[in-house]
Amino acid sequence: MTESAAVATTRSTRFLRPERVKEATLLAIIAVSVVVFAFLIDGYLSGRFFNRVTTSVVVVTLLAAGQALVIFSRNIDLSVGSIVGVAAYLTGDFLTATGQGPIPAILVATVVGAVLGSVNGLLVAYGGVPAIIVTLGTLALFRTLLSIYSGGANVLAGDLPTWVLEFNNVTLFTIAGFEVRLVFLIAVVVVAGLQFALARLRWGRRIYAIGSNPSAAAQAGLPTASLVFWSFVGSGALAGLAGFMFLARAGTISATAGAGLELESVAAAVVGGVSILGGSGTMVGAFLGAVFIDTLKLSLVRVPEVSEFWRDAFLGILILAAVILDTLLRNRFNRRWSAEARKAMEATGPTAAGMAHVAGGGGTADA
Amino acid sequence: MKTEHDRYEEEEEVKAIKRRSRVFVPMVVLALIIAACGGDTDDTTTTAGEATTTAAEATTTVAAETTTSAGETTTSAAAAGEAVEITAGDSIAATFLPKCTNIAVFPQANSGAEEAAAELGSDPAEFVGPADCGDTTGQIEFMTNAVTQGVDAIMLSNNSGDQLDAPAQAAADAGIPVVTWDSPIPSATGESVFVAQVDFDETGQVMADMARNILGDDGGQFAILSATPDAANQNAWIAAMEEVLAGPDYANLELVETVYGNDVAEDSVTAALGLVDSHPDLELIMAPTTVGIVAAAQAMTQEGLCETIKVSGLGLPEEMAPYVESGCAPEFALWSFVDLGYLAYYVAYGIATGQITAEEGTAFVAGRMGEYEITADPTRDAGLRVLMGPFSVYNAENPGT
Amino acid sequence: MRDWAAKHRWESILIIVLAATIVVNVSLSPFYLGFGNFVNLFWLSIEKIIVVIVMTFVIINGEIDLSVASVMGFSAAVMATLYQGGELPFALAILIGIAVGAIAGLLQGLVITRFGLPSLVVTLAGLIGFRGAARVLLEDRSVGDFPEWFESIGQQTLVGPFPVALLLFFVGLALAWVILERSAFGRKVYVIGNSADVARFSGIEVDSVKLRLFVTSGAVAGLAGILFAARVGAVQGTLGETYELDIITMVLLGGVSIFGGSGSMLGVVLALFTVLNIRNGLGLANIDGITQTGVIGLLLIGSVLVPNLAQRYRLRRPRAEAVAHGPP
Repeated sequence: MTESAAVATTRSTRFLRPERVKEATLLAIIAVSVVVFAFLIDGYLSGRFFNRVTTSVVVVTLLAAGQALVIFSRNIDLSVGSIVGVAAYLTGDFLTATGQGPIPAILVATVVGAVLGSVNGLLVAYGGVPAIIVTLGTLALFRTLLSIYSGGANVLAGDLPTWVLEFNNVTLFTIAGFEVRLVFLIAVVVVAGLQFALARLRWGRRIYAIGSNPSAAAQAGLPTASLVFWSFVGSGALAGLAGFMFLARAGTISATAGAGLELESVAAAVVGGVSILGGSGTMVGAFLGAVFIDTLKLSLVRVPEVSEFWRDAFLGILILAAVILDTLLRNRFNRRWSAEARKAMEATGPTAAGMAHVAGGGGTADA
Repeated sequence: MKTEHDRYEEEEEVKAIKRRSRVFVPMVVLALIIAACGGDTDDTTTTAGEATTTAAEATTTVAAETTTSAGETTTSAAAAGEAVEITAGDSIAATFLPKCTNIAVFPQANSGAEEAAAELGSDPAEFVGPADCGDTTGQIEFMTNAVTQGVDAIMLSNNSGDQLDAPAQAAADAGIPVVTWDSPIPSATGESVFVAQVDFDETGQVMADMARNILGDDGGQFAILSATPDAANQNAWIAAMEEVLAGPDYANLELVETVYGNDVAEDSVTAALGLVDSHPDLELIMAPTTVGIVAAAQAMTQEGLCETIKVSGLGLPEEMAPYVESGCAPEFALWSFVDLGYLAYYVAYGIATGQITAEEGTAFVAGRMGEYEITADPTRDAGLRVLMGPFSVYNAENPGT
Repeated sequence: MRDWAAKHRWESILIIVLAATIVVNVSLSPFYLGFGNFVNLFWLSIEKIIVVIVMTFVIINGEIDLSVASVMGFSAAVMATLYQGGELPFALAILIGIAVGAIAGLLQGLVITRFGLPSLVVTLAGLIGFRGAARVLLEDRSVGDFPEWFESIGQQTLVGPFPVALLLFFVGLALAWVILERSAFGRKVYVIGNSADVARFSGIEVDSVKLRLFVTSGAVAGLAGILFAARVGAVQGTLGETYELDIITMVLLGGVSIFGGSGSMLGVVLALFTVLNIRNGLGLANIDGITQTGVIGLLLIGSVLVPNLAQRYRLRRPRAEAVAHGPP
């Protein structure tokens, strides 16, 4: 029983890290919305709705994960919508020509995405061009190239191997009508893997370090250029994978496939608590952000009282409300943490308190 | 062939700079008058062209007056029941402006226009347009550019409501015939004639009949998955269908909801599944849009719902093939966009070369498609129409591929 | 000349690009060099370039406003609804439409300054929400048949060969130029963009400046929406959709740093001329919309990349200087 008060404080802070609070807040907001919608929609709390959300959220989840990866290092990737389109179209062409199975198809899509992402990465990391300029440019450019390549022709569902059209329906196991589908599992595994890598691997810590303070990271000798480059390759690869999922979901692919997904992926990431200023946020948060927006969208479609025309207005208001609520709650926690940190500092001197703060994961930097 | 075109193009360019766009009216008028006198088309247009280079802008006002008399001549000819056969003459510079370039039906329509241009010995029309079908201002830009270029004709599928009135009027003021196809200018402002794919009322009838065929005698619930809430074509078709459904023969069919997928694959899938969940007794989704129908069919396929919920509407045979085969979409309909582009080009060419006038009662022969007549458009308060038709209904026996 | 070019690297590059564009356009199309075409070239994008002026301020200030296109649609929808209702004089409906734009900007500005939320997040919600509000008002209707004097604002050449909207743009531009580069307010905008903390410490009322910018941004977007209605003679709920990316592209191409604090009005004006000329030239050369967008995307990247690389390899100077922006 010799543990000092300061250590105890550090422990409790660790348990309630800011990003955990963010995630818990969002989870609570999702839960509340589900309860509200359950009153508005008949038969809402069923396995069926769960299946709908888990299938439709896959594309945006993968994009939000890639987006988060890039935003962590204080960049942004607005080209993902076009990468989805190119990857979906080329993978469709590949399958039309060869009739291959899922593994080669996923590989092709991911590689196509990674190559396009590497173009972004090269320009940002080694060309010294700000990410928003590069990706605004490639958003247009990739789409133009696809449009020229396609010549107005679509990838036709009828030319694809039949497994593609049913890929979204592949179910691993079912519990009381709640299906765990392969596509959802893939998305969850990707998110979990990235979450682990970012939290536990040196590479992940460095990404956050760059986002928190790019010049300090460079001065500390971190290979910032190569880290940024690879984060864009990663975002591209994830967008490519999302492109495959898009192909499986839509079946028919036109040159406009995936247009507009870039803003959706940014929305999912920021709603999920990923700070647009870099250096803070989690993959799980981005995932929850995607789930939240998708749940809202799919639910609003099913509320008979909400007409077609009201849906976007509601969506905008609800997203804003969620972000404000999240900020208010977080500010309250931040205040408590700084009070605790101050107390700890008084008790044990600056070093421990500083550590307590580091353990907090830079929660104050993202207000 | 190619060199001839090139030479023509050079000549045309030089001429164009001199005369600008406005002088086209006298050219048409002159051609008309001479054509009415029974001269050979080839010769007449050349003469007209020469005349205009010197006639310059001063003639414009006179030309406007002469139009009526020339028009009368043609009317009397048409009244006599003679259909003008549109024949090859000079090459014309034309713009073929779709709602957008990235939906499969529009490149198809353009291929029809190219076929017609080749038959008529004309350069193919420039196929330009916005990337996104919702981009009205993009269309305004292309219309304005076409007027600046002084093209001889514009073929337009209007992607907005009244927003193209002003640029279409500007084209008309410059003497450029604006032939709309697929989707007209509602007020007919500045429009010469609308080449309608099918009668909009017929679309309603065909959709209602397909619904009845699929749902059977005992009827049932169905829903509509449309493009956007402000898509003029779709709204007209849905309205026509609702009118048909009011009749006693369709009393068993219950339209439960109309939703919109914005002609985006992802949104359409979401909307289709939303319908399924909101209406447990739903048996049919009717999608009067080629993007929506294929998305709905795919959504039913991947959720394994094809047994209980069928999909129908307006679709492209090549896109719908797998779903017809699987029984998910037992029947759907469409007209040929290739033919529509072909006919639109013939009409535009005929008007631009002065072989026909855009007037009620004008009858003409358009190449392989045969005889048509320009009539008042019964679906609008103003405007003229050439009705193409008919519908092709596709099913397992006639998959269309 | 040389001194000027050294001090205004970005502007010099844009002048070269613009000159090259004009040369290419002249060689591509014989219709390009007409006075009517030059008026058209501005007139066809008039709403966008009016918003570009105010977006320049917002981005230099270190913020962003993604909601402008939706606010355009919302303001026009409010005006159209009031007009259709027929109870108010039309001029009043126009003023209310603009005021609604200002209120939209005020709401977003308040959320940004009071809660300390990033403007990107707030205006992204605004982008979705105000578009939704416009759709709620108009549903699937298209409201047109405005009074003739209103449509003539957008469609006819009232003063000399220029439509009123175009004159409005040039007056606004001159005003904005003076405010940004010659006034105390303009200096504050730059200081805040460089570092909001420094600005706060030096006694600048940061929140008030930001709030004023967002209100102006909303009001100008509202005005642009109404000018749009006058130009095309009809309002739909989708009016102006996706304009925000074009608008932001022009500002960034003008050398305004997305992180705030640097950029010049001259750069933005040159960028705007360049984009309009490229679109017009390609359009006259019968190149379709998607390719035009691609060319502008390429230009956006190239205009930053090429000078960066040239600087790095030719002069072998440290990178910090290679990323040259406009005057501070």
